[in-house]
Amino acid sequence: MNQAVIQLMVSGALMGLVYALVAYGFQLTYATSKSINFGQGELVMLSAFFSLTLTNLGLPYYLMIPGGLLFGVVAGLFVERAGVRLALEQKSEGWILMTIILGLFGVSAAENIWGRDDRPFPTPIPTEPMQFFDISITPLEISVAIGVVMIMVIIELFKRKTLLGKAFEAVSADRDAAELMGISATRTIMLSYGLSGLVAALAGILVSPITTVGPTMASALVLKAFSVAVVAGLESGFGVVIVGLFLGSLESLTSFYVGSGWREAPGLVLLILALAVRPTGIFGKAVIRKV
Amino acid sequence: MRRAILTTLLAGLFATQAYAADSIKIAITGPFSGGSAPMGSSMRDGAKIAIAEINAAGGIKVGAKMLKFEVLERDDEAKNERGALIAQELASMNDLSGVIGTVNTGVCLAGDKHLQEKGITKIITPAAGSASMTQWSKAKVKDLSIFRLAAHDGIQAAMVVSEAINRKYTKVAMLYDSTNYGVSGRDDMAEQIKKQGNILQVVTTDKFNIGDKDMTAQLLRAKNGGAQAVLIWGIGPELAAVANGMAKIGLKVPLIGGWTLSMSNFIDNSAKNGNGTLMPQTFIEEPITPKAKNFISAYHKAYNVKRIPSPVSAAQGYDAVFIFAAAVKQAQSIDTKKIKLALEDLKEPVQGVITTWKKPFSTWDPANEESHEAFRRDQVVMGMVQDGHVVFGNDADRKRLISNATSVKGKK
Amino acid sequence: MLKRLILIRGIEGLMVLLLAAIPLLVNNSFVLGLLTLLAIYGILLIGLDITVGYLGLVNLAQAAFLGLGAYAAGLTVTIFGFGMLSALAVSTVIGLVMGTLIAFPSLRLDGPQFALATLSFSALSATVLNEWESLTLGAQGLQLHRPLLFGISLDAKGFYWLCLFFLGIVWIAMHNLLSSQWGRAFEALRDSPIATDAMGIGTYRHKVTAFALGSGLGGLAGGLYAFNFEYLQPHVFIYELMVILLLGVVLGGRKSLWGSFVGAVLIVLLPNLLSNRILFQFFSSTGFLFTLGAGGMALYQKKNRLFQAVAPMIAMGLLVVGSFTVQNTEDWRKAIFALMLFSVVVGLPEGLMGFTSRFLSRIFSIEAEPFAPLSGLEQVLVRKPVDGSPLLQIQELKCYFGGIKAVDGVSLTVASGTIHGLIGPNGSGKSTLVNLVSGLYVPTDGTILFHGKPLVQGSLFAVARQGICRTFQNLQLFSELTALDNVMVSMKGFYSTPLPLVLLGLAKRAEKRAEADSLALLEMVGLSGEARTAAKDLPYGAQRFLEIARAVARRPTLIILDEPAAGLAQPDVVTLLGIIRRIHQQGITVIMIEHHMEVVSGLCDIVTVLDGGKVIAEGVPDEIRRNPLVIEAYLGKGSEPPAATAECRLSPMPVPA
Repeated sequence: MNQAVIQLMVSGALMGLVYALVAYGFQLTYATSKSINFGQGELVMLSAFFSLTLTNLGLPYYLMIPGGLLFGVVAGLFVERAGVRLALEQKSEGWILMTIILGLFGVSAAENIWGRDDRPFPTPIPTEPMQFFDISITPLEISVAIGVVMIMVIIELFKRKTLLGKAFEAVSADRDAAELMGISATRTIMLSYGLSGLVAALAGILVSPITTVGPTMASALVLKAFSVAVVAGLESGFGVVIVGLFLGSLESLTSFYVGSGWREAPGLVLLILALAVRPTGIFGKAVIRKV
Repeated sequence: MRRAILTTLLAGLFATQAYAADSIKIAITGPFSGGSAPMGSSMRDGAKIAIAEINAAGGIKVGAKMLKFEVLERDDEAKNERGALIAQELASMNDLSGVIGTVNTGVCLAGDKHLQEKGITKIITPAAGSASMTQWSKAKVKDLSIFRLAAHDGIQAAMVVSEAINRKYTKVAMLYDSTNYGVSGRDDMAEQIKKQGNILQVVTTDKFNIGDKDMTAQLLRAKNGGAQAVLIWGIGPELAAVANGMAKIGLKVPLIGGWTLSMSNFIDNSAKNGNGTLMPQTFIEEPITPKAKNFISAYHKAYNVKRIPSPVSAAQGYDAVFIFAAAVKQAQSIDTKKIKLALEDLKEPVQGVITTWKKPFSTWDPANEESHEAFRRDQVVMGMVQDGHVVFGNDADRKRLISNATSVKGKK
Repeated sequence: MLKRLILIRGIEGLMVLLLAAIPLLVNNSFVLGLLTLLAIYGILLIGLDITVGYLGLVNLAQAAFLGLGAYAAGLTVTIFGFGMLSALAVSTVIGLVMGTLIAFPSLRLDGPQFALATLSFSALSATVLNEWESLTLGAQGLQLHRPLLFGISLDAKGFYWLCLFFLGIVWIAMHNLLSSQWGRAFEALRDSPIATDAMGIGTYRHKVTAFALGSGLGGLAGGLYAFNFEYLQPHVFIYELMVILLLGVVLGGRKSLWGSFVGAVLIVLLPNLLSNRILFQFFSSTGFLFTLGAGGMALYQKKNRLFQAVAPMIAMGLLVVGSFTVQNTEDWRKAIFALMLFSVVVGLPEGLMGFTSRFLSRIFSIEAEPFAPLSGLEQVLVRKPVDGSPLLQIQELKCYFGGIKAVDGVSLTVASGTIHGLIGPNGSGKSTLVNLVSGLYVPTDGTILFHGKPLVQGSLFAVARQGICRTFQNLQLFSELTALDNVMVSMKGFYSTPLPLVLLGLAKRAEKRAEADSLALLEMVGLSGEARTAAKDLPYGAQRFLEIARAVARRPTLIILDEPAAGLAQPDVVTLLGIIRRIHQQGITVIMIEHHMEVVSGLCDIVTVLDGGKVIAEGVPDEIRRNPLVIEAYLGKGSEPPAATAECRLSPMPVPA
């Protein structure tokens, strides 16, 4: 029985890491612009389809990855230009609707270009399960975990160590002050959307071999990721990993012990409670109200 | 703005009445977008091939005129509400001859009552949930204009259970998705297990949600219970996630379940993990008869695909049109009520791609839904997934079908 | 006045008559089905608009309330055999109760957090409906039959009229509510929750009430929905429907009953639009020409940004191309909606109805309803007796933020009827002290006595209710409300009508009196000519005065002015002095943080000087100006704040007599 628990936690945690990666995409844009892309899931899906097309054109796996990531960046920039910038300039919350609308367009385009069916995504990484102390795990799953952690570490390092990254941090800390220092907030927000697109594309490429590619592949994923991002606090990269792992395992354990239909219920209850107690998220900073 | 709304309304009204009277107007409804779209659009495309064939041959002779089919398409998005509205729209058309389609049982339950109220003839395909027909027998409707051309879940569940029994299994796990389709499949299977002598012991009954990718919890329970087969009822790509999950945790037992296991999104996405999966089939994409060969190649050519997304839906859509056309011919009318009467008593056998249909329907008997069900147990075969294709699960079925198609034998 | 009433009420009445007459004119079950759904969605969207439009929160739970209401109605009918009205009552109550329950944990949330909390609630309720098979039959769905209404079985036509009747009732009730104090309070809450509490209006009960009422309407709509479709499945009431509802409200136009109605029309009709190719081509072409015209004009007049004008053109252009070239429009449905929505959201951000009403009001210039005759200021602000006794006593008050001692043991006494100045260099703790007294912060230690009794701590609302009102250094006006509404919303003493009576429209007389009094206060600060101007459109000085008028409207015993002269031009400073004297004359005690020495010297009876969180001096202004400690605190000894600014602030400006 103990084995089962560990097995459940391992596979749940893996899904949790994927939630965390998509959630991280939310955080990147929230930090600079206090806006998030509600169509992030569609970005994941479109990038995955695009990468699949590259593969089908005969590009080897490791050459396809940069192509897919580039697509993600371009798509992220498009979202920023077409859906977010105007609303931010008007200081409205119009971006919520605009990004939903762009996502809707993305789904429709994907349905018509690539078809409505789910499709497999080839990968050179073996999918034969390996046994560690009776726990099954596939090399593919391990590669997903490594990929998720790696990209997050790289982006965090970029934010802390490079000049551009510091501009990023400056805009998240205080947009007006940063602008006074000659940092263009608009460019920084563009950068954050580009990065967020990159993260989405990577998520698409990493999880597609496990989840398959289809127009609706990310709609369930993205809601979970949204929860993870908000509960962790929209500012903490470290927090999303912890909350993601926790939520993933919790779901897996719930469906085993309570029933699969109730899989999401404890997570949702916890989420509402967590928000009620700590509106800025578990790892978010408490805000002192100034008037 | 208000004027614009009014114009829309009025224009919509006029538009519905502006069609020429010298055509047979039928509507095809189903989900053409979203999760169940592969079934909906395959059904639609199959039906359109049949219509193209009939129209190319000049149409159907009714009285002195040759009438061609004219198609209205309505996307119900698999939503009950849209389904009900579409049914109301269709019910309000005065010159509609009939309706073919619907994939989701919930959409049938929400919408068909409007068609029945107006007595508009509908052939349901490929929605297989039992409730779409049993609702009428439960309500003790005297005169029914709803027919079905799909192997309903009762038949399928019986086959699934007996297959498990034939293979000498005693312990099975039951998995189903949380949709109407999955839940009613669960009930049908449970009933069949009881009916067939309680030989199978169900070690776990468990569900999964649409969109779930991680099935470890459900499968671990099956594994811990010592299941020798997984009986499964689901509608979408989650089925593939189950097959892959089984491979991952080393649960090496066959999956047996509803016909949806033959859809490309299962076969492709489970790849070799799907091999050996068994499911009842009404049509297998294998050119065993000339008619099937023509149909398959016509479909591939018309829609530029190498494989039909859901062959069963496509073939049923195709056959539904031919059966409907035969009824028009026999009724010598485009009046939907006369077509309904003709359907209940088809004199000529209809050459379909699934089989040669002889008297598929009879006059509605509230005590027996089978009177409006086209499929019988012997028209359904066990299919098996093998290396990316569905093949006949046992050769006897294959031979029977070939003989069915050549000799005009019909059903018992 | 009469003309306006006839026009607006007349259009509404005509609309209802027209809607009611359609089934008599055309006998078509499809049209009837659409109309019924339109009425149901109308109710649902009016409910949603309360939170989305008036409270300005992205509410993703309305679909869940629709579902809960539908199941409540369905189950009471199938299990207990309830009649139509009692079942509908149950679904409304379920909506109200569940709405209240979910409002509590979500109270402190806004933005994405609120959206997520409501979204989670939706997901949770869908899960419960799906999993509780013994009650709801789960995914198999619940089939039911429309119950009797007073023993009569309704056919489709009768049921439609019932739905329309409910829409009418909801419309009138919501019109009454939203044009009352409640509606103003909802909007105030959206613009500044802090000021809403600080003016004693109360964020708490308004947020809960708004959410509960909106949810109650959701529940009612759900009940009607159940009886319309007679078949329910849990998965219907999920995220996707929610997004559609949200888009409906935004497209129709927020903060408007008409907007909700138009939104409902769009939701119901759009999917059917695509069924007819010619109609679709016509609409997309018209839309394209419209964007060309409107966008071109806006560009020519330089009213819009390039993106705002061009992006809708591109989107509609794509749509036109698509409408003529795409083989199967049904396949592209989502993309088509997306393009239309995109054009509207970018091109007409205030929604179709917002745009139309602006357009119509330009054509038919309807004169605004005249104001109630204004009250005399003496009646509005009844002079309070003052006796010079201690009104506010602060004892050893401390407030630490981590290691920072913002206020470190301050004691001071404000005597009734004085104007008490509070000065000190930046960071000396003035603002923190004021925030402590007004209840924004909770003190680390120490006591505050008001009228000799301990003052409630840590609640802006409770402090305001006890008679202490404040203004803000960074303006916290209700920016979307008019100047008049800003004052009216804070008025004390008029809004005792219970909510049910307000819904019935029985609060109108109190409204008139509040209006008259508010106008008197606007007159006092010289803004009676700007009563209808939105606060955000007022010049800066006027905004400062409006904040004072708003605070006075609560008729406080003590008013705290936080740097009222900051950023004011010289003539405005003079006006300000007059206003403060006028308030003071009526017996209101004033605490004032100020840097302008002229204002301080000209007004204050006594001045307390803070530095480093401690009181360093207290006395009459002239004394203080000569106090070496104070001069040192301001000018410092080299390492202190820049001398220039401090000097500038200390230097007396000429005060015109």
